[in-house]
Amino acid sequence: MNHPNRSIAFIIMAVVLAPFVVAGLWTLPPFGSYPGPYGDVINAIGTSARHITNMVTGVNYDFRGLDTLGEEFILFASVTGVVMLLRGARGEAKSAAALRIEHRRREGRSEAVAGAGRVLAPITLLYGIYVVLHAQTTPGGGFQGGVIVFAAILLAYLGEGYSAWRRMARSAVLDLVEAAGAAIYAVGGLVPMFFGARYLENILPLGQPKTITSGGLIAVVNLGVGLAVAAGFSSIALELLEETRTAGDDQA
Amino acid sequence: MSIFPYFVSAWLFLIGLYGVVTSRNYVHLIGCLTVVQAATYVLLLAVGYKTGAGAPIFADHPPGTPAVDPVVQALVLTDIVVGAAVTALLLSLVLQLQKHRGTIDPNDLQPTRD
Repeated sequence: MNHPNRSIAFIIMAVVLAPFVVAGLWTLPPFGSYPGPYGDVINAIGTSARHITNMVTGVNYDFRGLDTLGEEFILFASVTGVVMLLRGARGEAKSAAALRIEHRRREGRSEAVAGAGRVLAPITLLYGIYVVLHAQTTPGGGFQGGVIVFAAILLAYLGEGYSAWRRMARSAVLDLVEAAGAAIYAVGGLVPMFFGARYLENILPLGQPKTITSGGLIAVVNLGVGLAVAAGFSSIALELLEETRTAGDDQA
Repeated sequence: MSIFPYFVSAWLFLIGLYGVVTSRNYVHLIGCLTVVQAATYVLLLAVGYKTGAGAPIFADHPPGTPAVDPVVQALVLTDIVVGAAVTALLLSLVLQLQKHRGTIDPNDLQPTRD
């Protein structure tokens, strides 16, 4: 369907569906009057039941832990898809040569970018690890912290340049860490079943509230998510950056 | 004004969908798709909001302090990260499209018949 026809179809459908959308929004509970009760119950019992102070983490890794296992496998499948599409089309051969597209000049990195990358990468890495580890206590967790760790890995690329970065970020290691992260979650859920509990049931000692060892199984699966997210996003970045080289670069 | 945030969400959904429908470039289309996705985040967070309540984190406040719904926040949090990975998958499909068909304009692509 070409462009004007698509617009006409869109306008007709929008006009037809608009009254239903408005009617639906009108019958939602007014903004600011959350009807509950699920969130209120979790806020009320979370700290005493799981010794955690961050209820969002509690929902993600404990009360609705199975849903997050599903989310984690969507992430895993997406990363696998990116790697298969790009690496599969390009071949398995490794090359440290980047930015060699014909007709494109190879730009040197400015010293300001390299300096900023070198200074910020370790600080960002430390902050990312901090955010991952404090999932149970303060805002944070494997998803957010994993992305911050990935940002540190990208800053290392800006600081060190592609070939040095490529020697550090090996795709075999990233693949292994990502698979290990997903496995920690899936197997961490299975282990309680050997002790007569249900899948992902929290049978580990819950620990002291407001410490990074609180929450029992939450601390374990959160670490798995952190590893999987950081390594998965690094794999995506690596494959996309590898796209900038051409097939003949391996011989050069 | 008690339903105003819901209409912000509907507006985001609509402009994102309009971009998808009229797009002439798959990279632009994927950008529009993330705007549609953002509409769901606004709607979820608006549904879970409670006037005068704080974050559902009791590190500084004792449990029992009024707090918003943590369930919708957990949904949005995981989806933002997973959504970014899915966007990367879509963009690598666009890369393959450019390599094999030499175009990323949806109008230039006809269904393959063989």
